[in-house]
Amino acid sequence: MFEFHSVGGSLLRYDPESRLHRFVRSLVITVTSLTLLVLTWWVGAITLDITFLPTPLRVYEAFWRLIDVGDLATGLRLQDHIVASLRRFVGGFLIAFVVAVPLGLMMGYSRTTEEFSNPIIEVLRPIAPMAWAPLFILALGVVTGPMMVVFIGVFFPLLSNTVFGVKKIDSYMIDAARTLGASNLQTFYKVMLPCTVPYIMNGVKIGLGIGWMCIVAAEMIMAQGGGVGYFILNNAEQVGNWPNVFVGLIIVSFLGIITTGIAERAHRVIISRMGME
Amino acid sequence: MTEHLEIKGLKKVFKTDDDEVVAIEDFSLTVKKGELISLLGPSGCGKTTILRLIAGLIESSGGEVLVAGNSVSGPGSDRGMVFQEFALFPWRSVRKNIEFGLELSGIPKAERHTRANEYLEMVGLERFANSRIHELSGGMKQRVGIARALANDPEVLLMDEPFGALDAQTRNIMQKELLKIIEKTDKTILFVTHSVDEAVFLSDRIVVLTKRPATIKEIIDVPWPRPRDRASPDVTAMRKRILDELEKENVMIG
Ligand SMILES: Nc1ncnc2c1ncn2[C@@H]1O[C@H](COP(=O)(O)OP(=O)(O)O)[C@@H](O)[C@H]1O
Ligand SMILES: [Mg+2]
Repeated sequence: MFEFHSVGGSLLRYDPESRLHRFVRSLVITVTSLTLLVLTWWVGAITLDITFLPTPLRVYEAFWRLIDVGDLATGLRLQDHIVASLRRFVGGFLIAFVVAVPLGLMMGYSRTTEEFSNPIIEVLRPIAPMAWAPLFILALGVVTGPMMVVFIGVFFPLLSNTVFGVKKIDSYMIDAARTLGASNLQTFYKVMLPCTVPYIMNGVKIGLGIGWMCIVAAEMIMAQGGGVGYFILNNAEQVGNWPNVFVGLIIVSFLGIITTGIAERAHRVIISRMGME
Repeated sequence: MTEHLEIKGLKKVFKTDDDEVVAIEDFSLTVKKGELISLLGPSGCGKTTILRLIAGLIESSGGEVLVAGNSVSGPGSDRGMVFQEFALFPWRSVRKNIEFGLELSGIPKAERHTRANEYLEMVGLERFANSRIHELSGGMKQRVGIARALANDPEVLLMDEPFGALDAQTRNIMQKELLKIIEKTDKTILFVTHSVDEAVFLSDRIVVLTKRPATIKEIIDVPWPRPRDRASPDVTAMRKRILDELEKENVMIG
């Protein structure tokens, strides 16, 4: 379907075996697809001609203005909002990681720990992270509050993936380690832990995606404190600056792609490094 | 020669919620140092259970296992095990797999390296020292499994259908390799198989087991020096005798 010229200039058919060909093909498709999205938006904005749907050009101009001088509704520059969101996001993620991974390892390892923790977890799990937001923000403030919403969002997928990973460990590997003279502790950190790492990374991947949605949403119910969610809500509600709102949406998408993209890559690298593909 | 491995009245009952399975009943066997004994029996008769009991991976319901005169309880590096499933550590290189046991006992890096080299050479994997496990063929994987167990210098090597997952040709090659290794190391080996051919080709003695619960039906001496010619009349006759007997018992092998 796709034909293009090689470096040498001779006409080449698409060759699915070639990495370069596959890369160029997917690049061409991706660029085409995104261009189509922007074009549809642009045409839609011009035809409809309503304030809620600004043209891409106006959004682009708004973006640079926000970087240079900030916005009227919040009085902060775009990069300040981004930093504020990322700080809460990273903080919430790290707390979740430090709690969920050791707990998950223990739950996978010890039946008693699992049986004891499960009722608590099953009672808390159905509560959407956002349902905690008013409580957390009022009780803990505009920085720690949303951070804890992220914590909730990341915690459960990370926990269940870690527990699952421990349970999936090939029992022969444990037997092999024991017959080679491994103590319980050595079996744990030389066999069980490495076996679980790919599953933990999968939990991280899923958790980052959910956590990112949580942070933007949680920031929307604050009266102050900056953050991309806060920025979007205020520009909509206070001043009706729709180009700014669109900048906010695009930033949310962009940062989400970057964070999950990094986790995706780390996951793949770790799996192949550990010979587990 | 001394009795190197002594199994006295070993018994194992698996208890499930509503059932009891007697897997091993009054199993006794004495193995001399450097002997290779095959356990031959129908699948499900309890061969793996016997090895796991000796390895200390499961607790017995009665009886005793002595290795070099010492009663064993729980796993220990004096009894190495080779698994049909290989059970290698995929996140470690071939060398690091072989060094695993040495690492556990805190042997310094330089010595680990030297010892690993020795066993890499013994199993013919020098060139693959730094390869990853998933890059190896089945036969090569089991070479790593054997080298990893031997590097610990165990008193007894327990092999649970080690070549069961390999194709026929690789299997034959590995059997010959094992004989070479035995010559060099003089290890006491308990070898589980359900292949009569393999048992006759490798063993000093063959322990034929009954259906579950596993008890000893017969112990056959294989008197000829190794390496043996699989096609020689003596070997063929013994193979046929064992097969006939197993068939007479209406016992399915495999
Ligand atoms: N953990 C266990 N719990 C219950 N029954 C078991 C367990 N392990 C093995 N058995 C039973 O013990 C018998 C012997 O099994 P095994 O030693 O694996 O046989 P083999 O290796 O000769 O094929 C089988 O009937 C098996 O179902
Ligand atoms: Mg078995």
